[in-house]
Amino acid sequence: MQAKQLVDHFFRTEYGKVVSHLTSRFGSTHLELAEDCVQEALMKAMQSWGYNEIPDNPTGWIVRVAGNKMIDQLRRDQKTSSQEIPDRVEEFNDNLSFESINDDVVRMLFACCHPSLSSEYQIILTLKILGGLSVREISAALLKKEETVAKAYTRAKKKFKHEEIKLTLPPANEIEERLEIVVKIIYLLFNEGYKSAEGDSLIREELTEEAIRLNHVLLQSEICDTPTANALMALMLFHSSRFDARVDEGGNLVNLEKQDRKKWDQEKITAGLDFLEKASDTEELNEYIIQAAISATHCRASTFEETDWENILRLYDLQLHLSPNPIVELNRIVPLEKVHGSLLALKEIERLEATEFFEEYYLFYAIKAQVLENMGALEDCKNALNKSLLLVKNEKEKAYLKERLESLEA
Amino acid sequence: MKKYLYVFRGYDENYEKQSPEEMQAHFQRWGEWMEKVQAVGHALNDHEGKVVSENGKVVTDGPWSEGKELVGGYVVLEAKDYDHATELSKDCPIFEFNYTTEIREVIEGEE
Repeated sequence: MQAKQLVDHFFRTEYGKVVSHLTSRFGSTHLELAEDCVQEALMKAMQSWGYNEIPDNPTGWIVRVAGNKMIDQLRRDQKTSSQEIPDRVEEFNDNLSFESINDDVVRMLFACCHPSLSSEYQIILTLKILGGLSVREISAALLKKEETVAKAYTRAKKKFKHEEIKLTLPPANEIEERLEIVVKIIYLLFNEGYKSAEGDSLIREELTEEAIRLNHVLLQSEICDTPTANALMALMLFHSSRFDARVDEGGNLVNLEKQDRKKWDQEKITAGLDFLEKASDTEELNEYIIQAAISATHCRASTFEETDWENILRLYDLQLHLSPNPIVELNRIVPLEKVHGSLLALKEIERLEATEFFEEYYLFYAIKAQVLENMGALEDCKNALNKSLLLVKNEKEKAYLKERLESLEA
Repeated sequence: MKKYLYVFRGYDENYEKQSPEEMQAHFQRWGEWMEKVQAVGHALNDHEGKVVSENGKVVTDGPWSEGKELVGGYVVLEAKDYDHATELSKDCPIFEFNYTTEIREVIEGEE
């Protein structure tokens, strides 16, 4: 095999797999050693594969080289450890299969999303260990300082070292609760990448791909193949199907109404619909299913005018019934206006405004401006846009609002 | 066409600090370059080595006194002359890091 034939991100995903495998094998206290050994093995692969052909089984090669390095080091440290160490890595690799590596990765995913860690630490651990990203890459993706990421990572990792976090699957009575955290972290990861991009858009798009990949890993494991995990998969696929359409050539945001629907990735939409069907195989509702169903309704409409707003409004009401949430109430304004008209939408906006929850939220005023514009109340609309402009932070959103304001003044 | 030997020397901390993603990108560029210039060669172990002298009486670990002397690898390829060989080296990915390339003509025994 030639260098160029290696699949994209092979090193990065392999890093996660092999670190998970070795840490499962030798215990969570050796996480750091496993990481070092895999890094060294990849370094060796980079050097020798660049000059020569890639071995037929590159994964096996990396597992073997990293595993042997690890065994050597553990033997050197054996005085301090009572653990039995095999002679050669082959001893435990005979029955190494896709399933067993996938299980190791799932165990690591549960460990990274351990309830004793904050969401911030959970995300950083997941990206570092399973995503194979460096501290620098993580800080670029999350728009955080390198130092902050490095510190968080060191602290979180201590819990592995002291065996407060182990690589075991949660017991049956906890699995649902623990899986909920894992799903939430995957979703946050996706959102980090998806939310209108500041910084390096390439690495942010990779975050969304990484979230989808990790969700795939999760669904490969029988106990994690739940309606919630399937619904999240559908939701992420629907969102990412619009990746190319939501930004124009100049890098400006394009809203749902103006997007060229021919640019939507139909393959992803079809796959998303399959996952949504699997997710709907239950009586229980969860917020991911509802969000995915909303997204699916948009995907099904071949033009903006054909959007089934009544269905979307129904789904929003369902979501509010399930868990009341001001942000959902705000977003509900859009389908509410489409179904019941601007006057009712404005009344709802005034009701929300009275709660003062949205005082600092640019999107509230942007939505208000839209409703006012539809009513022909142009002066009020400009005021709302100006207020939104004062609050917005993201440059692309800012440019979009400015353009709207200018078109009104023209 | 004559044969030329490229010896890559140097040491760069950043080389070892690459992320997995960067490593893959780097070695794939190597593969492309090797294919383009039709080179064959090997990487050398950076961390271990022996120096043997006086008919094997003196053996020391590691040939290097300084990091910058490290030989990271070598390749052999065919070129018309030194100018051509230098030209071929230009887009070698080794220069992404603080390495130098020494180019020497290989003299082959004629029968």
